[in-house]
Amino acid sequence: MSVLETRGCSIRFGGVQAARDVSIRIGEWEIVGIIGPNGAGKTTTFNMITGFYTPNEGQVFFKGVDITPLPVHERTALGMGRTFQNVGLVKGSTVRENLKTAQHLRAGYGVVAGMVGLPQTFRTETELAERSDLLLDILGLGDLADTRVAGLPYGVLKRVEVATVLATDPDVLLLDEPSSGMGPEEAHRLGDTLLDLRREFGISIAMIEHHVPLVVRVCDYVYCLNFGELLAEGKPEEVRNHPEVVRAYLGEDPEDVVA
Amino acid sequence: MSSLHDAEVAAERQAAQVDEEVLAKAKAEAHQPAFTPSPGGWAARGLVVFVLAAIVLWWPLHRPMSDVRLFADAAIFAIIGLSLNVLLGYTGQISLGHQAFVGIGSFTSAYLVTVQKLPFVVAIAFAMAIGGLQALILGGVALRVRGLYFALITLSYGTLASDSLFGIAAFTGGGQGQPAPLPSFADTPYRYYYFCLVVLAAVIWVDYRMIKTKGGRALLALRENPRVAATFGINVRAYTLYAFIVAGVLAGLGGALLAHRREIVQAQDYDFRLALIFVIMTVVGGLRSRVGVVIGSAFFALLPYIIEKVHLETVFRILSDHTPLPFLSKEVAALVLGPLLLLLTLTLNPGGIGQQIRPLTRWLGGRRFDFHDRGEKEVQISDVRA
Repeated sequence: MSVLETRGCSIRFGGVQAARDVSIRIGEWEIVGIIGPNGAGKTTTFNMITGFYTPNEGQVFFKGVDITPLPVHERTALGMGRTFQNVGLVKGSTVRENLKTAQHLRAGYGVVAGMVGLPQTFRTETELAERSDLLLDILGLGDLADTRVAGLPYGVLKRVEVATVLATDPDVLLLDEPSSGMGPEEAHRLGDTLLDLRREFGISIAMIEHHVPLVVRVCDYVYCLNFGELLAEGKPEEVRNHPEVVRAYLGEDPEDVVA
Repeated sequence: MSSLHDAEVAAERQAAQVDEEVLAKAKAEAHQPAFTPSPGGWAARGLVVFVLAAIVLWWPLHRPMSDVRLFADAAIFAIIGLSLNVLLGYTGQISLGHQAFVGIGSFTSAYLVTVQKLPFVVAIAFAMAIGGLQALILGGVALRVRGLYFALITLSYGTLASDSLFGIAAFTGGGQGQPAPLPSFADTPYRYYYFCLVVLAAVIWVDYRMIKTKGGRALLALRENPRVAATFGINVRAYTLYAFIVAGVLAGLGGALLAHRREIVQAQDYDFRLALIFVIMTVVGGLRSRVGVVIGSAFFALLPYIIEKVHLETVFRILSDHTPLPFLSKEVAALVLGPLLLLLTLTLNPGGIGQQIRPLTRWLGGRRFDFHDRGEKEVQISDVRA
């Protein structure tokens, strides 16, 4: 059974058809890759899945329920986690504060109880801090808990972002270019982390990724988009060698291209 | 092509190495023993706190009644500054109509006590509720309009309220104003000053707890990036309204206190100049800095008093006698000094007073004194935007 599914999602911005009839499925325990050249509609697809865009046509199903009309924060409550291409963190706060912010829905008290300082809110806050530190330790970021996010290097930020989105308790993770800004070794370690996450937390993952070795290593299934349409799908090796995909990346006639 | 690829790999390796260095440095810092002041150090900190407390709590007892009234103004302005800080500092929304937020609180409380003969505490509660309600309406507008146009709407809202709403004679007592007597439990300016201090302390506590709990964190997140906030599960629309309600409730509270401090509420006291001073005092005090906002607000409340004490008016008079410059009364001086300080703050020191005194506040909190510790640039000029 698929955890997450888009059925024929299309969206237009003015005269631009950013996505046309995109249907993708993410099964339970699956890691799915979404590849494609720049401007292919990968992030647009993510935005339709997470609710930033409402598709003109088509539906999004999450755990068998049609969530197309739901706003972003309600999808988070259902268990959808997402990272951003340009790092989705609160830069003015510390790393731990970010993880606590991400546990917004776990903080069971009301805002007014928090403001007047009821004892129960202090207890909850301690629990949130402990859970933040635990997640940071798992990702090897424990020492950064009190560091402000602004000023951290890009590669570290990407890891902090993964820790933060894990704090929202997701069943599905949507990662937008998780390995950007990372070196080859670091990207390899990221692959290990993703496989660990699936094993330890039972999380399904969809990721937009350009780093081919990473996609081939961790993904069970790959979709390739071009000009807003699905070009190919299948096992990573199949998609990589698919003639249409090669053409989309390298131009009309691959024979002419000097690599 | 291949050399380009090599260069890319090398750059990536270097970036990865930088990341490792950052982590190693953070690790070293995290495992350093924390600094704890010596007994002498604590004594010195205690002494400073004692002197500050004496200035706030003991010294006013020995000042004439007219001075203490102004000191109560300082505490009330601090509450209003904290109210505006919720919008401008935490949420990144501007209000150029805050004189209306405050004025509605003032008139509500004065009307309920004088005309409806309700107890003071009930009147204040109503002033807070109505302050929150009218702010909620403006918050609804903020969900649709942003930036400069929203600033314009708050500006016209404030002017509209002070020109029309405050002119309803049955509510505001017409031209001669609505009387607002001191409450029976604080029937002298001295007692009322201490009452205002207690309320200010409560507001500071609420503000502190808000930032330490989910509501405040949600505001900070949605100010920086509403999209990220939403993926954290924060209802961006609801929390934008929440910010306006909190600011409105605090402004209503400040307004009610101001009414009974002045003992009569008149519409002309709530014109646009007041809104300007409110914005300036909050920014000069330092956005998102509780101590800074309190000091900045108190400073602007006491500015006429300070000008009088240092005989600045005499200087202004000499200037106006011997140069073509106009004479600045102490009331107008705030509108000249304020923008000047605002300009200095925005260009040289966006963190305001709060950032300037950070070495001191951190030292009082038990850290090592470090004159150069101005914090990382937590407030950017771009934060102070319409």
